[in-house]
Amino acid sequence: MSKKHSLAALVGITAALALLAAGCGGGGGGKSGGNVSALPASSCSDIFYEGGGDPDYLIASDLPLQGSGRTQTVQMTEAVKFVLKQHNFKAGKYKVGYQSCDDATAQAGKWDSAKCSSNANAYAGNKSVVGVIGTFNSGCAEIIIPVLNRAADGPVAMVSPANTYVGLTHGGPGTAAGEPDKYYPTGQRNYIRIVAADDFQGAADAINAKNLGLKKVYILNDKEAYGLGVATDFKNSVTQLGLSVAGFGAWNGKASSYTGLATKIKQSGADSVFVGGLVCENGGKLIKDLRSVLGDSVTLLAPDGFTPISAVVDGAGKAAEGLYVSVAGQPNENLGVTGKKFVKDFGAQIGGEKPDPYAAYAGQSAEVLLKAIETSDGSRKSVATQLLQTKVTDGIIGTFTINEKGDTDANPVTQYLIKNGKQTTFKVITPPTSLVKGGA
Amino acid sequence: MATDASRQQTARLRSLGAVGVVPWIGRLLVLLLLAWLAVNLYKTPSDFVAVGLEGLTLGLVYGLIALGYSLVYGILELINFAHGDVFMLGSWISLAVGAHTLNLGADSSGLAVIGGLVLTLLAAAAFCGVLNVTIERVAYRPLRNAPRLAPLITAIGMSFILQDVGLNRLGPAPVSIPNILPRGTVFSIGGNIYRWDSLIVAVSTVPVLLLLVWLVQRTRQGRAMRAVAQDQEAAAMMGINVNRIISFTFLIAGALAGVAGLLYALYSTNIQFDQGFTLGLIAFTAAVLGGIGNLPGAVLGAVIIGLIQQFNEGLSWHAPGSDWTQSIVFAILILILVFRPEGLLGERTPEGG
Amino acid sequence: MASAEYRRPWFHRYTGLPGELRRRWRGMDDRKRFQAGIVLRVLLLAVLIVIGWPLALLVAILFAVKYLLPRVPEPWSRFNRFVTPGIILLVAVTYPFFVEGLGSMRLLGDYPGLDTAVIMGVYAMMAVGLNIVVGYAGLLDLGYVAFYAMGAYTAAWFASVQFAHRNVHFGAVGVGSNTPGIHISIWLLLIVAGIFTLVIGVLIGLPTLRLRGDYLAIVTLGFGEILPQVARNGDNLGGFNLTNGPNGITPIDAPGFGSVGGKIGLPENYLAVSNRNEIYFWTVLVLVILTIFVSLRLRDSRLGRAWIAIREDETAAAAMGVPLMRTKTWAYATGAFIGGVAGAYFAAFKSSTFPGDFSFNISAFILSMVILGGMGNVWGVVFGGAFLAFLNQQGLSDIGHSINQTFGTSFDVPKYQFGIYGLIIVAVMLIRPEGLIPSSRRQRELHEGVADTPLYDVQK
Repeated sequence: MSKKHSLAALVGITAALALLAAGCGGGGGGKSGGNVSALPASSCSDIFYEGGGDPDYLIASDLPLQGSGRTQTVQMTEAVKFVLKQHNFKAGKYKVGYQSCDDATAQAGKWDSAKCSSNANAYAGNKSVVGVIGTFNSGCAEIIIPVLNRAADGPVAMVSPANTYVGLTHGGPGTAAGEPDKYYPTGQRNYIRIVAADDFQGAADAINAKNLGLKKVYILNDKEAYGLGVATDFKNSVTQLGLSVAGFGAWNGKASSYTGLATKIKQSGADSVFVGGLVCENGGKLIKDLRSVLGDSVTLLAPDGFTPISAVVDGAGKAAEGLYVSVAGQPNENLGVTGKKFVKDFGAQIGGEKPDPYAAYAGQSAEVLLKAIETSDGSRKSVATQLLQTKVTDGIIGTFTINEKGDTDANPVTQYLIKNGKQTTFKVITPPTSLVKGGA
Repeated sequence: MATDASRQQTARLRSLGAVGVVPWIGRLLVLLLLAWLAVNLYKTPSDFVAVGLEGLTLGLVYGLIALGYSLVYGILELINFAHGDVFMLGSWISLAVGAHTLNLGADSSGLAVIGGLVLTLLAAAAFCGVLNVTIERVAYRPLRNAPRLAPLITAIGMSFILQDVGLNRLGPAPVSIPNILPRGTVFSIGGNIYRWDSLIVAVSTVPVLLLLVWLVQRTRQGRAMRAVAQDQEAAAMMGINVNRIISFTFLIAGALAGVAGLLYALYSTNIQFDQGFTLGLIAFTAAVLGGIGNLPGAVLGAVIIGLIQQFNEGLSWHAPGSDWTQSIVFAILILILVFRPEGLLGERTPEGG
Repeated sequence: MASAEYRRPWFHRYTGLPGELRRRWRGMDDRKRFQAGIVLRVLLLAVLIVIGWPLALLVAILFAVKYLLPRVPEPWSRFNRFVTPGIILLVAVTYPFFVEGLGSMRLLGDYPGLDTAVIMGVYAMMAVGLNIVVGYAGLLDLGYVAFYAMGAYTAAWFASVQFAHRNVHFGAVGVGSNTPGIHISIWLLLIVAGIFTLVIGVLIGLPTLRLRGDYLAIVTLGFGEILPQVARNGDNLGGFNLTNGPNGITPIDAPGFGSVGGKIGLPENYLAVSNRNEIYFWTVLVLVILTIFVSLRLRDSRLGRAWIAIREDETAAAAMGVPLMRTKTWAYATGAFIGGVAGAYFAAFKSSTFPGDFSFNISAFILSMVILGGMGNVWGVVFGGAFLAFLNQQGLSDIGHSINQTFGTSFDVPKYQFGIYGLIIVAVMLIRPEGLIPSSRRQRELHEGVADTPLYDVQK
C-alpha cells in the first residue's frame, strides 16, 4: 500500500466518522430548565426543583464541597433543599429552583480563589440567578461580593450563613483599610449575614472568661481568616475587660503534635487557653495535647468553629470534657416553634443526628432569601433591597433583624459546656455594644 | 570527586573570596543556634528537656516514613510521592484491623493489646507492602526507560488516587483512635510528663532501623539492592534480576510505611486522609537532609526536623514560635544544604557537590 | 538498560503494555512505522469524534497539515513553519465567537468557558516559565509557586487600597483620585512584577544553584513553603501590615487602557465593558503568545543552547566553557520573570490574593503540566498547562457528572475529583511517557533508543 493510498484511507475514514459524529451530536446540549438557564455543571449541581412547571428564578449556594470542611458544607446544602421543599419551591408567586455550587478545587483541597472568582462571574452573568447563599469562607466572600454588587440589572442579593469576618460589613479593629466600602463599588449594599460577626462572638467569649474568674489567657488561632479574626477580637475584648493575655500564637492544622506548643503555654502561666479556629484544622488533636500537657485545671474556650460539638467529642475524646464552645444565637431549647421543628424534622432527614449549627444557619439563609424574593418585584435589584430589610420572627435560628449594614441584631451568644461527651447549655450571653467596637 | 567543572567553579568562587568566608558563616550560624539553645536550657531546664524529648519522639516517627523514601530513592532515584499516602493507608488499615476488627481499646487487657498490636502490625505491613509493589508495577515499571521526571508525575498521580481512597474510607474529618497504649507517666521533670505511649513509639523505631541496616548491609538481597542502586545494567549482567530486586525494595518500603502508619496512629491518636501528604513532605525533606539514600541519615534528618519543630514551638526565650515553624524548618534545611550540599551523612559525589 | 531480558509472567504483558508497544515500534522499519502512525492517528481521531466533532475536526486538520507540509513546493515552503501556529492562533482568537455554539463534549462536559479559558492561559504561561527551568536547563524546581506568589502580591500591593497611608495614582483605571492606597496601571505592574520576581529568583538562585539534582529540588521546595508562610504572617511584620495575612488583599484594580486607549477602540476599564470575559481572554492570549515567542527565541539563542548543554551533561558543558552559575541563574531568572507576570495577571483577573493560593500542590500542579505536556517543547507545555487547568477548573466535575448521567449512578462528584485527576495523569504518563507533545529530540531518544540516558541522570 503506497503512502497516497493510506492517506486517502485516512481522509475517508475521518470524513465518515465526522459525518457519524455530526449525526450523533456532542451530547448534553440544551441545559435550560424552562425559563431559567442553569449555572455551569463544572461548579454546580443540576437544578433542584420539584415544584410544578418550570422555575422562574434560581438561587445558588456557594460552599467548598471538597476537603476537610465537607462534613458541614454537605449538610448545609441539604438544609437549603429541605427549606425549599418545605416552601414547595415557591417564594410568593415566583417559582424558585436551586443549584449547589462548589467553590473548592481538587488541587486546593479547599476553597480556591480562582473558583470563587469564576463562580461569581457565573452568578453575575446568569440573569436567572437572583440570590446567592454563601459563602462559607470570608475570603471567598471578599471576592464574590464586589462582583455580584457590580452585576448587570442591579446588585445580586447574597446572604451568608457562615461569614464572620468583621470587615465584610463594617469597620473596626482588625479590619483592613477601605473595608467594607471596597466590597460595594456601586454603593448599594447587597450582602447580609445572619451569623454574628467575630466581634460579637469575641466579646461574648471574653465575658464568659471573666465570669469564670479567669485571669490570664493564652490565645491560639489557626492562621485562617476566620480563626485569626475571632482570636483577634477575643484578644481586644479580654484586654478591655482587664484580663491579661499570656500569649498570642498560631497552631498549624497540619502538624502531628502540639506538645511543644502546650509546654510553652504551660510555661507562660496561663490559666486558660482560647482556641480560635476550626475543629477541622486538627482541633481534636490540639485539645488532646493541650489537656495532656496542661492538665485539667486549665480552662479551654472555643468559638463556633468548634462545631458540631459531636465532631469535637469524636476528635478529642475525653480531652473534650470541660471545653466551652460558644455558638451565636439561642440554644436549641430556647428556640421557637419553627426552630424546634427544623431541628426535629431536618434531624430526622439526615439520619437522626443533631443538625450542625451551620445547617440551621443555611436553612435560615434560604428562608430569608425566599422571603426577599417573595416581597420583591422580581428584579435582582429589588431582591437585594428587600434582603437588607430582613426581619425574622421565630425563624429557624430565632428572632432577629438585619440592619442597614447587613449585620444581624441577634446578639445572644450561647456558651455550651461539654460534659460526659454531651453538650450542655452553660449560659446565654448578650455582649453590650460598648464592648463590641465599631459594632452594628 | 572534583570534576573539571566544579574545580573551575571553585576557583572562580575562591577568587571572589567566597570559599574562605562561606564555611565561617556556617560555623557562626551553628554557634548562634547552640548559644540560643544553651540560654533556653539555662532559663527553663525542665521545659527544655521535656520539649527535646517530645521532639525526639516526633522525629523518630518522621524517621520511619523517611526510611521508605530513602530506600526507594536509593535504588531508583525516584521521589516516591505516593509513599506518604501509602503510609496514610497504613494508618487506616491499623484503625480498621486494630480498633474495629480486633476491638482494641483503652480498656483491653495487656496481653490482648500486645497480641492485637502484633496482628495489626502484620496486617498493616503486609497490606502496605503489597500495595507499594503494585504501585511500582503499574505506575513506575513501565516508565523505567522514560525521562526521569515521568515516574515523578505518575507518583504524584498515584498519591492523589490514594488520597482519594483515604478520603472515601476515612471521611474528611480527622478520625480519633482509642488510646491503646498505656498513657501513664514514665517520668516527670519539673511538672512536665513524659508518657509511656511516646516512649514505646520512639523506642520501636530503633529495632526497625537496625533490622533495615542489617538487611541492606549484610544479606544477599541487600547486596543485590546496593548493586542495582549502583548500576542497574552491570547488576543485570552479574545475573541479578533487577526488576525483582526493585519489587523487593518496594515491598520493604511499603511494609515500613505500614509500620509507620500503625505507630503514627498510636502516637498521634488522630488520623486524617491528608496526613500522608503533609508528613510525606517532611519525611522526604528529612531524607534529603540526612543525605539521599543514606538510611541512618534519613532518621537523623527526621530527628533534627522533629527537634526544630518542637524547640521552636515549645521554648519561651526568643523562639519565633508556632507561626513560623514551617519557615524555620525549611530555612535551616536550606542553610544546611548550602553549607553541606551532600546532606548531613551523604558522601561527596558529583551529584551532591 | 536492563529492562528486557528476563522471563515475564503472562500478566506483565498488561501492566507493561506501553513499554511493549514502544519496543515493537523500535523494531519497525520506516514504512511500517508510517502505517502504524496512521492507524494510531485514526484511532485517536475516532476517540475524539466520540468526545466531540469540533475537537476531532481541529486535530484532523492539524494532522493533515503535518502530512501535507513536507510536500509543499519550494517557493511556498518557507512559510511552512507559520502554518500550524497560524491555525492554532486563528482558532484561539476567534474562540469567544463560537464557544457558545459548540455544545458540549462527551465525557468532558462543556467546552472551556471564557472564564476557565483565562485561567488556562495563565497556567499555560506559568508552565512555559517553569519549562525554561525544568525543560531547557534541567533544574528540577518544586517551588515554582513562590514566583507566582511574588507576582500576585506585587500586583496586589501596587493596585489596591492595601497601603492606605500612601496615596499614589498612576494610570490606574476605574479608581477615584481620592481613593487611598497605591494605584498603578496593571500594564506597568505586569512588568514591575516580572522584574521584582526576577530579582527574587536571582537572590534565591545564587546561593542554591550550585546544588545539583534533587538537592536543588528540595531547596526550591523550601522556598515554596517559606514564601506563603511569610505572606500568611505578613499582616504584622514588626507592626507593619505587608500582606494583610490570611484575609488576603482584595479587590485589586482592574486592567484597562483609560480614556487614551478608549479613543483607539481599546477597552477603557475591563470591569465596565459588557464582554468582560472576552477582553480578559484576549489579553491573556496576547500574554501567552508573547511568552511563547520569548521562550522560542531564547531556546534558539546562545543562552538556550547553553541551557540544553547543561541539561544533557553539566560536566561536559562546563568543560566546553559554558559558565554554569551564570547560565543556570539566567534560566531561573527567566522562569521567575514569566511566573511573576502570570501571577500578577492572575491576581488582577481574580481581583484578589490570598496566602492559601500558594500551596505546594500548585507547584506540583505546574510541574505536572510541564512534564505531562512534553518537557522541553513549548507547544506541548502550553497544551499541558491548558489541559490540566481545564480539568481542575471544570473538567473533573464534568467528567463526574457525565459518568453519573451515562451510567445512571449518583455518586457524589466532589468526593472523587482528586482520584479522577490522579487516574488521568497516571494514564497519560503511561501512554505517553515523553509527554503529550514531546520535543522532537526527546521523542527520537525514546523511540529509537539513540541515547538511553534519561534526563537528569547524572553520570555515576
